[in-house]
Amino acid sequence: MVSRQVRKLVAVAAAATLLAACNANDPGNTGASSAAEAAQGGTLRILSEGQTVNYDPAKSSSLPITSLGFVHRRLTGWVNAEGEQAAVAPDLGDTGKASDGGKTWTFTLKEGLKFGDGSPIRSHDVKWGVERTFAPAFSGGLGYHKQLLVGGGDYRGPFEGERLASIETPDDRTIVFRLTRPYGDWPWITSTPAFAPVPEGKGAEPDYGEHPVASGPYQLAEYQRGVRARLVRNPHWDRASDQIRGGLPDEVQFQLGQEASVVSQRLVADSGEDRQAFGSSFASPAQLAQLQGNASAKQRLVTSKTGALAYLALNTEKLTDPKVRQAFQYAVDKTSYQIASAGAAQLAGDTATTLITQGIAGREQFDLYPAQPAGEPEKAKRLLAEAGFPDGLKDLDFVVPKSNDYPAKAQALQAALAKAGIAVNIRVLDTDAYTAETSQAANPTYDLTLSSWQPDFPSANANIQPLFASSEIGGGGYNLSRYRNPEVDALIEAAQSEVDPVAANRRWVELDKKILADSPVVPLIYTRNSFLRGSEVANFYIADFPAYPNYLQAGIAK
Amino acid sequence: MRALRFTANRIASTLLVLLVVVFITYVVFYLVPSDPAQLACGRPCTEQNLALAREFMGLDDPWWRQFLDYLGGVVTGRTFGVGATSIHCAAPCFGYSFQQNTDVAVLIAERLPVTFSLAVGAAVLWLVAGVGAGVLAALRRGTAWDRITLAGSVAGVSAPVYLVGLLGILVLGFTLDVVPVGGYVPFTESPVDWAWHLVLPWLVLAFAHAAVYLRLTRAQMLEVLGEDYIRTARANGLRESSVIGRHALRNVLLPVVTVFGIDLGSLLGGAVITERVFSLPGLGGLLIDAVNQRDLPLLLGCTLFAAFLVVLANAVVDLCYGALDPRARLT
Repeated sequence: MVSRQVRKLVAVAAAATLLAACNANDPGNTGASSAAEAAQGGTLRILSEGQTVNYDPAKSSSLPITSLGFVHRRLTGWVNAEGEQAAVAPDLGDTGKASDGGKTWTFTLKEGLKFGDGSPIRSHDVKWGVERTFAPAFSGGLGYHKQLLVGGGDYRGPFEGERLASIETPDDRTIVFRLTRPYGDWPWITSTPAFAPVPEGKGAEPDYGEHPVASGPYQLAEYQRGVRARLVRNPHWDRASDQIRGGLPDEVQFQLGQEASVVSQRLVADSGEDRQAFGSSFASPAQLAQLQGNASAKQRLVTSKTGALAYLALNTEKLTDPKVRQAFQYAVDKTSYQIASAGAAQLAGDTATTLITQGIAGREQFDLYPAQPAGEPEKAKRLLAEAGFPDGLKDLDFVVPKSNDYPAKAQALQAALAKAGIAVNIRVLDTDAYTAETSQAANPTYDLTLSSWQPDFPSANANIQPLFASSEIGGGGYNLSRYRNPEVDALIEAAQSEVDPVAANRRWVELDKKILADSPVVPLIYTRNSFLRGSEVANFYIADFPAYPNYLQAGIAK
Repeated sequence: MRALRFTANRIASTLLVLLVVVFITYVVFYLVPSDPAQLACGRPCTEQNLALAREFMGLDDPWWRQFLDYLGGVVTGRTFGVGATSIHCAAPCFGYSFQQNTDVAVLIAERLPVTFSLAVGAAVLWLVAGVGAGVLAALRRGTAWDRITLAGSVAGVSAPVYLVGLLGILVLGFTLDVVPVGGYVPFTESPVDWAWHLVLPWLVLAFAHAAVYLRLTRAQMLEVLGEDYIRTARANGLRESSVIGRHALRNVLLPVVTVFGIDLGSLLGGAVITERVFSLPGLGGLLIDAVNQRDLPLLLGCTLFAAFLVVLANAVVDLCYGALDPRARLT
């Protein structure tokens, strides 16, 4: 018994050493969510590798369904369930009404909302919370709203005495946002952490996140960096006004600074308090392999059906001919990529052919470059010959970061590209150097790179704009293919301006096809994520979007 | 007078070493292609937001100016930003972590008791076990004891702490359930639980280090036992315990103390792997987090603190030399 466990542990230790630097989307395994019914009460434990947990909404990029949502409500939120697309939902307010062609958005707050200290939550507090995110001391969170609000570009927050006139609060329950241009996804933007309320006049101190004023079902009772964060019930939270949070456990405890392989071992052992715990990090391929031989643990592994888009970015400033770039669509071997990612196609995730990821409303499945998953090198060669490269391409610079097994994934693609006459030199960089080269350099030298992207909110807008708008080239942006197409920029702006969701979705699908016709990236797979839970954690599921468990609905089994 | 001059020279050279370490660390960390302002800028990061973040963090000055500001902060403290949201880092300010919203010195002070508990406990174990077993191995050279301890020491030197720690957790924590699998209880809260949570990390760390001390002590002891003065002591009829304890061991301990000082100093700077494996919230965990989050002020602070401890340990070792060897004493 011991020797078997030792063997397993050695395997995990070896793999964990290799994966020590991973922090992006690791692929998962197929598994089921917990079907058990959750009861009111108990303590839910979350085992985290991170040393800190951040409860300052201004500095947070937390999804509405994970840790920040325990303590803070937002103007709007998400509802997501297995097999259903995520939808924007009322949280503190309704989902907003557009006027002035989508340039003005008005929200009405629910009645009787209170902070954890018993004071009422008013529209002024939401405005203050949003304004606070503009202060240089509180940057760091999601800031999609900053360029959209009129006057936001130069605004430096409310602590210097100036208020943002484009946010109006005509009464305690009404808040009006005036935007620089029509923006149909504004209700999604108001679900970002910046739209959590902060009592007007408060929150000037840098450590506000360590004693935040709660609006959600829990308040922070104890916080020790690197040790734990303990959340207890907020007596002023009204369950009836909140359709987003279950608020089931009496207490939520984050155990911080936990070692990944020990977390995995604890959850596999499933004893004592660990039965009421889950790991907040993805299960690594080594852990997944280990779990295959453990029926009990395998049952407790929860896997997303889909996830982030993994893609090969082609630097369009170097590979200028669309025909050359299209050749890559046929040259890549997506099966090898799956195997390099997780050892098996099923564990890695489905092969991808679109930019809009699965689970996003309005997505259309299409394939502009139908080919075998393992690639069709002859087709690629033909395209290259037509483009004037009958002898293929030589010495392409393929830059990848050290982390997340990217070098192995690049090697898998290198072999497939070679079959199509495309010779690449892999250049492995440290994460910082990689970011500087791909996101910050003015004239980078790379031809190809690998990356993955999961949208910040469930709209095709968040799939496409960050990766393909020319404004996102360099300066820390994520347009790694340096794709610059004025027509696409105009279409992105038009789609963003569309207030009717159905019409907007149509526009995004058109953009998906139009961009892929130019072939700035090769979609590879929709990456799966897996999480392990204890046997008494109930209502623990991963919906179609995002590829993370909904912390707010989880509870302890009856 | 000579002792005073020695002390003054020692302090001056220590400060010089630390200044050089600060300079090199600063240049390395701030000239590598990582932009702390970019990390604090949020997503999406516009040019305006980036400029505001740079200004707030004091990164819009030339690097040499930033370096001088950093040194000035150690003496007089620093203030970042202006107005109600300004952040004051009191002297001695060794940097401010914008990601953890706290002075680096405070973060280090919070973690120090954990690392101190781990390092000192393990050091006592490995010193007693390593030196004791080394002396016995030398005195019983060629016996089964000598061979067994030498083989054990090879295992200790070769096995990665990471693996030994995980195996320890698996066997003693999960399978036998006789020790906790991780975590830390402050000594002030419960001395018994404090020791209970640290016993396995102590053993694991001591296993790795004791091996080195065993081999070092054994080799030194064998060399010293062959010296003329030991033969003379024996010829004069001194008891064996006196020959070994008073004459041989004191000389054996000189190199042991040198290595011990450096080991303990390094360990107090953060037993990175052991702390991680046992989920101990010490300086090692802080350092890992700083690396993972590319928190450069924190990295700089941790590096400086570790360098300070090594320098301090060397100074203490020099003082110990005097106690162990009268020839090294200053008069």
